[in-house]
Amino acid sequence: MEISTETRNGALIAKAEGRIDGANARDFESAVQTAVRDCEGAVIIDCENLSYISSAGLRAILLIAKTLGKRKVKFALCSLSEPIAEIFQISGFDQIISTHSSRDEALAAVDS
Amino acid sequence: MSAADDAGNNELLQFSVANDLREIAVAADRIDEFCSANGIPPATAYAINLSVDELLTNTISYGYEDGGEHRIDLMIRLDGDVLAVEISDDGIEFAPDSADDPDTNASIEDRPIGGLGIFLTRKMMDSFDYRRDEGRNIVTLTKKTGIASQENQ
Repeated sequence: MEISTETRNGALIAKAEGRIDGANARDFESAVQTAVRDCEGAVIIDCENLSYISSAGLRAILLIAKTLGKRKVKFALCSLSEPIAEIFQISGFDQIISTHSSRDEALAAVDS
Repeated sequence: MSAADDAGNNELLQFSVANDLREIAVAADRIDEFCSANGIPPATAYAINLSVDELLTNTISYGYEDGGEHRIDLMIRLDGDVLAVEISDDGIEFAPDSADDPDTNASIEDRPIGGLGIFLTRKMMDSFDYRRDEGRNIVTLTKKTGIASQENQ
């Protein structure tokens, strides 16, 4: 699992690559929490190159969403693969976390 | 001849992993290899990987109180168009039916952390059976592979 970050229109984009499983979900969470610590604009996690996520990964995303929610920072995910989108749907995460089909769509959503 | 045309098709993958969370990725590689060699659709392979990951994560994180090294046995069998997965460990007894399903309609603030692993496994697989046998936890899962429907398209 790798995370790289960049800024677009004042939003921090964290690009997650590879697998988020029971072994590395905590590392993923702490890497993102560190990256967003001083972020005042929106935060987007780009999942285009994320091949796999388990419930441990969902837990990490929920913790990040809760942290950002308390700070009133907008948070969205984009470019989920089909099986990952299915996991979000089954778990109800698609109801509580804003997900978008592309990075541009996510940027437009957090900008509004 | 494709896997689905072979009536006697009965592929088996057996291996064991140590009680170390890093072994989940090792298991995933072996499952992916088995699935792609047998023409199993990626969505089914994902479901198998997720289920094995969730059960291994639970067992490795909460199943052992002695801090020692243990082996967890995995068996994946393709029988026609049904994949069966068996995971067997000598960890403490667990009750997969004891947890309530998570409230998937709860708001972000009210949504509890955790409790999703077994729920997702049940949703992704067609059957989920647990038994305790001679000091071992044995979980058996099955799922239709979707090979046949894919080939009929």
